[in-house]
Amino acid sequence: MDKIREIKKLTRRAMLQRCGMGMGSLGLWSLLQQEGLAGQSTLAPKHPHFAPKAKSVIWIFTNGGPSQVDTWDYKPALAKRDGQTLEGFDRFTGFFSNSVGGLMKSPFEFKQHGQCGKHISSIFPHLAKHVDRMAFIHSGHTESNNHSPALFMMNCGLPRMGYPCVGSWVTYGLGSSSDSLPAFVVMSDPKGRGLPKGHAANWGAGFLPSVYQGTHFRPTGDPIDNLYRPKEMNPDQQRRQLDLLRHLNQKHLDANPYEEELAARIESFELAYRMQSAAPEALAVDQEPEHIQKLYGLDDDKCKHIASQCLTARRMIERGVRFVQIYSGGMENQRSWDGHNDIKGNHSQFAVETDKPVAGLIADLAQRGLLNETLIVWGGEFGRLPIAQKGSKPGRDHNPHAYTNWMLGGGIKGGVSYGETDEIGHKAAVNKVTVNDLHATILHLLGMDHERLTYRYNGRDFRLTDVAGKVIREVTS
Amino acid sequence: MQIYLMAALIAILTSVPIGQAQAEVRPDHAKRMAKGLAVFQDGVSQALKQRCVKCHGGDKIRGELDITTHNLLLEGGSEGPAVVPGSAKTSRLFRLISHVEKPHMPPKGEKLPAGLIAKFAEWIDLGAPYAEALLDSKLDRGEMQITKSDKEYWAFLPLKMTSAPKVENSQWVSNEVDHFVLSKLEAAGLEPNSPAQHRDLLRRVYFDIIGLPPAPEEVASFLSASDINPRAALESVVDQLLNSPQYGERWGRHWLDLARYADSFGFEQDTDRNHAYHYRDFVIKALNDDMPYDQFVRWQIAGDEIAPENPLALMATGFLGAGVFPTQLTEKEFESARYDELDDMVGTMGTAMLGMTIGCARCHDHKFDPIPTRDYYRLITTFATTIRSEIDVDLNPELTRAELAKWQLVHDKLADGLARWENEYLRERLVAWVKNPPAESAGKFKWLVLDDLKIKSLNGAGFKSLGDGSFLLTGNNPKDDRWVFTTESKSKPLTGIRIEALAHESMKHNGPGRANNGNFALSDIRVFVEPLEGGSKRVAVKLTNPQATFEQNKKGLSVASSIDADKMKTGWAVDQGGIGKDQTAVFEFSEPIDCTDAIKLTVELDFFTNTSHTIGRPRLAITSHPKPIPLKGSTQMTSITKLRSAFKDADNLDEFSEKDLQMLLRSYRTLDSEWLKRDAKLKAHLAAKPKPQTTKVQVSSEGYKPIKHNADGRGFPHFYKDVHLLRRGDTSQKQEKMMQGFLRVLMRGAKDEEKWQQPRPNWARTSFRRKALANWLTDIDNGAGPLLARVIVNRLWKHHFGRGIVNTPNDFGLQGKVPTHPELLDFLAGELINNGWRLKPLHKKIVMSYAYGQSASFSQDKSLVDAENQLYWRCTPRRLEAEPIRDSLLKVSGLLDTTMFGKGTLDPLMKRRSIYFQIKRSKLIPTMQLFDSPEPLVGQGARPSTIISPQALMFMNNGLIRAAAMSLAGKLETEANSQAVMVGYETVIARAPTLREKQATLAFITKQEDSYREVGRNDARKLALADFAQVLFGLNEFVYVN
Repeated sequence: MDKIREIKKLTRRAMLQRCGMGMGSLGLWSLLQQEGLAGQSTLAPKHPHFAPKAKSVIWIFTNGGPSQVDTWDYKPALAKRDGQTLEGFDRFTGFFSNSVGGLMKSPFEFKQHGQCGKHISSIFPHLAKHVDRMAFIHSGHTESNNHSPALFMMNCGLPRMGYPCVGSWVTYGLGSSSDSLPAFVVMSDPKGRGLPKGHAANWGAGFLPSVYQGTHFRPTGDPIDNLYRPKEMNPDQQRRQLDLLRHLNQKHLDANPYEEELAARIESFELAYRMQSAAPEALAVDQEPEHIQKLYGLDDDKCKHIASQCLTARRMIERGVRFVQIYSGGMENQRSWDGHNDIKGNHSQFAVETDKPVAGLIADLAQRGLLNETLIVWGGEFGRLPIAQKGSKPGRDHNPHAYTNWMLGGGIKGGVSYGETDEIGHKAAVNKVTVNDLHATILHLLGMDHERLTYRYNGRDFRLTDVAGKVIREVTS
Repeated sequence: MQIYLMAALIAILTSVPIGQAQAEVRPDHAKRMAKGLAVFQDGVSQALKQRCVKCHGGDKIRGELDITTHNLLLEGGSEGPAVVPGSAKTSRLFRLISHVEKPHMPPKGEKLPAGLIAKFAEWIDLGAPYAEALLDSKLDRGEMQITKSDKEYWAFLPLKMTSAPKVENSQWVSNEVDHFVLSKLEAAGLEPNSPAQHRDLLRRVYFDIIGLPPAPEEVASFLSASDINPRAALESVVDQLLNSPQYGERWGRHWLDLARYADSFGFEQDTDRNHAYHYRDFVIKALNDDMPYDQFVRWQIAGDEIAPENPLALMATGFLGAGVFPTQLTEKEFESARYDELDDMVGTMGTAMLGMTIGCARCHDHKFDPIPTRDYYRLITTFATTIRSEIDVDLNPELTRAELAKWQLVHDKLADGLARWENEYLRERLVAWVKNPPAESAGKFKWLVLDDLKIKSLNGAGFKSLGDGSFLLTGNNPKDDRWVFTTESKSKPLTGIRIEALAHESMKHNGPGRANNGNFALSDIRVFVEPLEGGSKRVAVKLTNPQATFEQNKKGLSVASSIDADKMKTGWAVDQGGIGKDQTAVFEFSEPIDCTDAIKLTVELDFFTNTSHTIGRPRLAITSHPKPIPLKGSTQMTSITKLRSAFKDADNLDEFSEKDLQMLLRSYRTLDSEWLKRDAKLKAHLAAKPKPQTTKVQVSSEGYKPIKHNADGRGFPHFYKDVHLLRRGDTSQKQEKMMQGFLRVLMRGAKDEEKWQQPRPNWARTSFRRKALANWLTDIDNGAGPLLARVIVNRLWKHHFGRGIVNTPNDFGLQGKVPTHPELLDFLAGELINNGWRLKPLHKKIVMSYAYGQSASFSQDKSLVDAENQLYWRCTPRRLEAEPIRDSLLKVSGLLDTTMFGKGTLDPLMKRRSIYFQIKRSKLIPTMQLFDSPEPLVGQGARPSTIISPQALMFMNNGLIRAAAMSLAGKLETEANSQAVMVGYETVIARAPTLREKQATLAFITKQEDSYREVGRNDARKLALADFAQVLFGLNEFVYVN
């Protein structure tokens, strides 16, 4: 009979969890609201659809579109055909239709590494050591030859602005296991080279409640808004203030005992108070021992910025953050992997910025036993053409038809390569993989069925994978 | 099973290929079909899907055989039908899978198990029925048709007017709304809550109607008025709030959510739309004026076609162009980006105005609602040529008209005065001038201006005489042109000709050319003479020694190039230094022209060198000056010369006809110093004629120049004239061209589109398709009007009660919720229409109901009956949205700047109401986002209401909160602590503190003050009061409305 009270009791707990920067129940919350139940707040922690292989994700977003044939997709035939004209090439494939050159071999040497004997470009000496942990997907292809639509595609599953990104869907589906840090964190280029094209829409929640959007930790200044108490106030003063607030709000709640939202809001102030110390603490990479800092390359000027972000990422997932995205590079051209000019110089530079830090992250997670529950994804928004973009120092133009991703860690089978491009690396040819497939696989590793993770909006059930997507079982363990 | 049976029957009946005898329907047909379907489901279907369909209908269609559906299976492939229903043994499919015949199927992998092959045989023997197509995408059905039953879904029906139901507790009824609400409550055995406390009710209506809290004195006066007559007190406050300008700012924001309004393009450049804010201002003004809702809708779709003279109607069209658009596009993306844009316009219109998810029909017929893909493409055709433009608009035409009228009065007076003076004096002054001529100035002049010319333009340009011998080009500015001037002359031998190109304010950059940069290019000049009498031939005059005041260069654009051999490409031009100034060219005649007898002089000017590069204000003159002729020289008008010669012929004015006399007077007066003085006065006043003050406004219209953006650099066309039906929404799969149409499910009375369309007026720049759409949208008899009314009254209800009568305010389709109170919804919609679509009376009706005025108290018993409060037994408490939270903070702390309208700002510390933030899609205001203000990407009808700790962080640490707290503390500082606590409570949450609250807060203030003093702050008390004010802002009571 006392069903309401039972519901309330259950709800109170769920409600308290809900007030974090995310929490177990959020994923369900909106579903309940859709069902008209949110008013009753019958909230319960959301479980994945099945047992997950990974608990958290760190996505190294190599912004600008790294060239597959100069990194992970070894193409000896390209070297043989160096300088030849690519017959039948559609000059509108890339961004610059008037700078189309001939086929161009990679300026980098490829050598075999690991047990699997994978050929890897010389620009990744540190990452090459982890090749037996990596699963390569060489047959990725996307729908746009232009940065922001392709970024939206890679992040949100559609080449248009306004859809929730992977991190938001994951947070919506699973919530966070941290009560003092955001569930979904984004770190962008700290060297003043700008944000990825399309800016915050790349980590936006679209039509999902804004709770699920990525929290952008600013590379300079206050990392997030309102984190630090007013400068004229000391901790005791603020604590007293919050105590009074809690007291007054509690009295009000006592008079309205059935309004769970009021209770939740009271708790949210306590969580906020904790966040004030938790967030700066998570960012304090200088607290790490020297050998760890060195492992990531914090002592190396060329890469210490990404090193710091990779180390922060580890500290965050240790503290329950679900999804971390690190953007390597800022906007376009020489400010990111967008090597229109001088592919050699461009890719050498960005490889140096990321190689040691990411390799350090992998090694560190492995030695802490965290690698088997953390999924690392490496990749950009599209690939680059095997032909030259003409210029004094030749570069490569955008290529939506082929790019390489690799994944590693929780649930990933190491040392495998899935899918192939044609002999010159121009187009995905064998076992082609769409962005939807990649997303389906990531959700799968986190214990979610991409077809069942839906959100009703303006009369339609939306999915991250739209109406497509297939889990790539060949790369999962 | 029933459904399967039906499906099978249909399949069988429609599947027999033409030319084959129809199989006899056996008496046990239905039973066999049912059995066949069971076999199909039990293994056959799975085997077909796993082993066969990939090559026969999926990725490939091998042997031209597609087996996705029963029909296709029977149709067969290159080898004939795959199956003979009822006869497995003769069926090719069976023979191949059982390896009786080659090629064995499936060609790869193992042979199907024997048991399965037996099932196939059984299935074929039973008629080979399909329960469903093997691939979703290949459902073998024709286009969706709209049926009678589709139109009978509740949302698509005409409004149904029922009289207000009877209720038992007639005491509780204040108006019809209560009848409808109470009858449902009574039927459920529920009693409504008692009325809310006056204080709570006041706060509720303030936030609901204007989004701001009442000031303490407003609370006090309401409470005392309520003691006397609560209904009258409420009514007076409601009237006052609905008439407050802040009503439009509150409700305008609700509409802007639906309109996905923002001030930038979005995507990677996120270029600003600097003149988009006029749309926001339109929404606020329209709501404040209580513009009829149908007009509000019509103007947003087609204001430029419906009321082109009204600036508000132009501003309204900003609705269509408020969506995102990627300004960086590659050629491959052009067309699909434009279809996305059309989709955005139609989709937003659909959700905002009709509560329909029209966009779902873009790639396939709508899965749930009766919207065929064809209807979608016919509908988007409406907007095919509609683009964003920025135009200069006089925002206050009434003021301009008033000022013009004032000016006109003075002008008329001056003009009348001059006319009177002329009437009175001019004639006698002419006589005096004739009688007593001034000293002869003949011979002094060098240039005789040809002000009496016949002019012809080859391509139809117009010439308006300016009275000084020059002609201003008017009307059409042709691509190229040839002008032919003719005049007569009888004088001394002529030695040269002068062409002037004069500046004028009406031209771009003041001319002197008509090109966009003010330039012209005179390709060729030719002069001919012929005797006026005597029939001799016309002779071309050779021109020599060209000179000019300015030349663009010394080559192809020099003055010499206007008489060179090239008649087309080269010519005299004056850019790079000569723009905006009078320019002159002079040519000598190689031989003087003898004019002893009158001659006809013809001058031809060609303009072919550059596009639309004619002179804008030409003046021609001739001279008898001996060669060499100087470039500069004095000027006299031909008419004066004529005047003088006229007097030589007649010394008595009476001998002139009236017409000639008038001409004489007109010529004479330009020599009269007194007339010139008066005329100069008139001219000066004319120059001061008030011009309309124009402002750039972003509109969505047709035929104006598109707003420039990045993709222009690659030649983005902005629109494609034709819209095609696209297969799967893919621009590379174009089907037939579409004509405008509307949603057939919302068309009644056997009428088609033409009912709403009207021929495009002659003067129109636009297609008038949008007006047709607006006509259909607002047609309450045969069009979408009833749904339009239902959707908006539901939105009003939702914002007053926290949930809609239809709880999916943007989806009234089959996937949406059905109304909890359908009769009430239709009643309100009918009221709206009966009130001339005015919203304010409807607000009042809702807010004055007892249903609205109930207390928010929770009741466990009632909640067991109606947990969601769907029947409205209480008022559901609600958290305020982002804007009222921030606006309230500013108001209670005394910081609110109530300036309305105009360009927004991104400054988070702005003190105006939050609706005036600039909305830049890549830089949304963090505080607004924190409290769930939507990303302006698609229309949003209901915001979520989250509680997250970053909101608490804002209340603890945000700069604006702290500034508001300090500001309020400044006001409290003058009071003793005990009074300060009273005032703080009254100001922030509209009530006095309880005794305990007072004690706790007083203790807190003292402690804080001491602690600040300890660290040496001399503003310790103010800081302590600020800390207290900030606590008040953090109260749940501050952000919740009961």
